[in-house]
Amino acid sequence: MEEFLQQLTNGLAVGGIYALIALGYTMVYGVLKLINFAHGDLFTYGAYLGLTLLTSLALTDRLGFALGVLVLVLMVMGLVAVLGAILERVAYRPLRESPRLSAVVSALGASIFLQNALMLLYGARFQVYPDHILPTATLNVFGLYLPLMRVLIVLASVAMMIALYLFIQKTRIGAAIRAAAIDQGAARLMGIDVNRVILLVFLMGPALGGVAGLMVGLYYGQINFTMGWVYGMKAFTAAILGGIGNIPGAMVGGLLLGVIEALGAAYISIAWKDAIAFLVLILILIVRPTGLLGERVADKI
Amino acid sequence: MKQQLLALVAALGLVVGGATAQAADTVKIGLMAPLTGSWASEGQGMKKIVELLADQQNAKGGVLGKKIVVVTEDDGGDPRTASLAAQRLTTRDVVAVVGTYGSSVTEASQAIYNEAKIPQIANGSTAIRLTEKGFKHFFRTAPRDDEQGRMAAQTIEKLGFKKIAILHDNTSYAKGLADEANTLLKSKGAEVVFFDALTPGERDYTAILTKLKGANPDVVLFTGYYPEAGLLLRQKKDMNWKAPFLGGDATNNVDLVKIAGKEAAEGFYFLSPPQPQDLDTPDAAAFLTDYQKKYNELPPSIWAVLAGDGFRVMVAGIAGAKSTDGDKIAEYLHKDLKDYPGLSGPISFDAKGDREGEVYRVYKVDGEGKFVLQKM
Repeated sequence: MEEFLQQLTNGLAVGGIYALIALGYTMVYGVLKLINFAHGDLFTYGAYLGLTLLTSLALTDRLGFALGVLVLVLMVMGLVAVLGAILERVAYRPLRESPRLSAVVSALGASIFLQNALMLLYGARFQVYPDHILPTATLNVFGLYLPLMRVLIVLASVAMMIALYLFIQKTRIGAAIRAAAIDQGAARLMGIDVNRVILLVFLMGPALGGVAGLMVGLYYGQINFTMGWVYGMKAFTAAILGGIGNIPGAMVGGLLLGVIEALGAAYISIAWKDAIAFLVLILILIVRPTGLLGERVADKI
Repeated sequence: MKQQLLALVAALGLVVGGATAQAADTVKIGLMAPLTGSWASEGQGMKKIVELLADQQNAKGGVLGKKIVVVTEDDGGDPRTASLAAQRLTTRDVVAVVGTYGSSVTEASQAIYNEAKIPQIANGSTAIRLTEKGFKHFFRTAPRDDEQGRMAAQTIEKLGFKKIAILHDNTSYAKGLADEANTLLKSKGAEVVFFDALTPGERDYTAILTKLKGANPDVVLFTGYYPEAGLLLRQKKDMNWKAPFLGGDATNNVDLVKIAGKEAAEGFYFLSPPQPQDLDTPDAAAFLTDYQKKYNELPPSIWAVLAGDGFRVMVAGIAGAKSTDGDKIAEYLHKDLKDYPGLSGPISFDAKGDREGEVYRVYKVDGEGKFVLQKM
């Protein structure tokens, strides 16, 4: 039982990161029906920008841990959001009226470009966050070892997800985003500036992905220019698992994928853990082709 | 005009004749090394070491009363370039060849030297298959991949661990090492409580660590590479788990400590051939001083030093066989050379041309993040 609970918390911590990245996939898909393959690389940029800002500005030395990290988070969010907006402008907007396949190819190209640019800038070696920044306290709750940072990561992820959910559901801008997701033409007729909505989506999704990258860097310490690929794949899977285009679905899918992986590794086989996760995905898609929380959208006539 | 031409021919003949006469007073030893390409730093080190040792040997009178000349060819770290280099060396009267570094590169040249009956001694090629082909003229100063498995089992036994967990990463190298150690440990009566693989390239290994911890091993043998080893150590410390980890030679990289952090890396054991500065034979101490005096740096790696050992063994083989005939040298190295005092420890060869005895050492990471050689 103790081991089960420990594995559950392990899975939730990993799943929280997946969920944050999955939100970026799902938001873009919801509005544009486009899989943004470069999203995993924006996540990597978050990790690298965080490292550069952290070491060059010495934020935590000047401002103390909590404030320093907060400023760092905001800076990384801002910079990666700008990067996302540029990406949309350069790689996707010119192809808005083209067949969907062109946009997908453009996304793959953008991913390759971003990844290799990062390698040329920073080199191919592993980069390492300074290891004395974070508090290394470990909480001991009923015999479970919970490193403080993991708890903070899960809490921060969930808080950001809830904030995003409320923003989409309760504000006028959120309503505009939802409207654009349902029918862009009708939204435009209602006076919604769809281009601005798309820009906004490309600011928010990458910002969350960038923060996820920063959290991975801060907590796991080691980053390299290809790390976005694995996380991107997993987050994409999570988005599909929960129902792509659906924001609560991405959260549920991310957390669920993390937990399935951890429990699969614990009770079946470590080497098969990815296979188990994908098997579950296939089974869920057979039963519910739109994902767990995805709604069936009526086919256009 | 005709007379002038004749004189020229005569003069040329004299020069050529002189050169041949001179050639008979020298013994040519070939060096095949990756002087260019991605392993260039290894190759340059091999060249520097062999040239230094050749100068020293010549100052002592050479071999068989003749001066040693080193003939160097670049293999570029590439099998195709290597086979051309091997063909060039075989046509240049070398009596023996030292090199080379990569296993696949050595493999491309093996048959060429064997056919020409020129003894070859590789320095960095650890792939098992190289000495399983029955080539009589092939030797190596490098250990074989399966020796590391033996050493791992032996180290675990010496450190007194009874319950062992083995973790690899499904690469052919890591899995091979894990399988080898697993078989040996079981045959020695140790209890292997865990055997599985992680997926390299991920960040979070806590699920695996939790499972490992549940198996309650005395020690964890991890045969993969340093990025994953660093993360495992870091996350193990976060879990407050104290069991020691032992790694294979792919964890020997300074980045390991950077990734894990000094505190988490402290106490990590790993197997590796000794670093050049840790060589403890008397010859090695003198050699390192001379090398530093001449080149103002340390040898790039142990693999380059093993090329130096290869050169010295070949000189000993020629001296011992009292001949430059390839068959005789090879026979002497197989049968009569016993515990030759190499820079990296005593050298003898078995019937396959593999080095007998241990090359691997045990290192432990100290509180400062330094790799400290353990006396076992």
